[in-house]
Amino acid sequence: MSEPSDDPLIARVAGELRRPVPISPDFDARVMALVRRAPPGRAVRAWEWLREPRTLAVSPLGGLAMAAGVAGLVLAGMWSRQPSPVSRQPSAVSASAGAQAPVTFVFLAPDARSVALAGDFDGWDPARLPMQREGSGLWTVDVPLAPGRYQYAFVVDGRRFIADPSAPRATGDDFGTPTSVVTVGGAARAAGGSL
Amino acid sequence: MRQDDSDAELVQRVLGGDDGAFAGLVARHRDRGIRFAMAMLGDAADAEEALQDAFVRAYRGLRGCREPGRFGVWFLRILVNRCRTRGARRRTGAMFVHDEAALERAAAPRGDDPEWREEIERALTRLDALQREAFLLKHLEGLDYEEMARLTGARIPALKMRVKRACDHLRVLLREVDDVRAE
Repeated sequence: MSEPSDDPLIARVAGELRRPVPISPDFDARVMALVRRAPPGRAVRAWEWLREPRTLAVSPLGGLAMAAGVAGLVLAGMWSRQPSPVSRQPSAVSASAGAQAPVTFVFLAPDARSVALAGDFDGWDPARLPMQREGSGLWTVDVPLAPGRYQYAFVVDGRRFIADPSAPRATGDDFGTPTSVVTVGGAARAAGGSL
Repeated sequence: MRQDDSDAELVQRVLGGDDGAFAGLVARHRDRGIRFAMAMLGDAADAEEALQDAFVRAYRGLRGCREPGRFGVWFLRILVNRCRTRGARRRTGAMFVHDEAALERAAAPRGDDPEWREEIERALTRLDALQREAFLLKHLEGLDYEEMARLTGARIPALKMRVKRACDHLRVLLREVDDVRAE
């Protein structure tokens, strides 16, 4: 597919650009955590089910009830309209000064029985922010945070405090506990690593 | 992911409800994607976010991939658009990079000749964005002009002109560097 350039200089440029570029080791885990928040499969299946032709026998009273139900659903949808979970990805959500924005913490620990998030935003109490296990041992939790700098750690199986390997380490870790730093600026972040 | 899974099989599995199969597509197209995004945007944090954004959009719109066997080209189109959006945003407002790990990675030397690499990246940033995009699609991704036209929506003569001007500009910028290094 690639045709080499006749110009040696351009060929050298292309050759240099084809070298591998480093990427975060948790990149795949972050992407999968984001896509699993809005699986298209269910939405597509529901849409296809709705598009399938089918015959319904409805009595006049039932028809009235269905019409009221549909109207209710539409109103409820308008009332509860919020950004889709996927739109919380770092590049898509911005928080105005002082407003809280959801930050997704992601941690890969396939062998863990439980993982919780503890940080200065929750009084370092692992009971307050348990993480949910998703496929392949990925644990996630969303935390609304106002712009600022926070320290945190993952608590594995209720006892081991582990710093986030993909985030900067806090200097002068509190109580000798390994902790990481997340800075929430004008945009929400996804933070995460693996065990 | 099984090693013998083709893109088409992985796409079909995702559409069939096996979300985990998407990880196979990410693993297969991640390295090529970050290479293009990095060359296009010149910033590691921006490049990763554009690529992440592209994968999420690809997942959500996977049913629109009419030729699953050519997922790579379809995905590249999404990535090109994400890079355009991110590049435009960067031109109109200050970017706020607070991912220290990404900054460290960006500063890490790559390849045998990090200075030459830096000069190339610097020269690329000095190209017009559309010329840079056309140059990278042609000389990095190795697409032919018909494919580039389908992917970008631009006409072939316009694309040829963009590539030519990008090459001319790079020759001027990088020959200066070569001359200085040869002294």
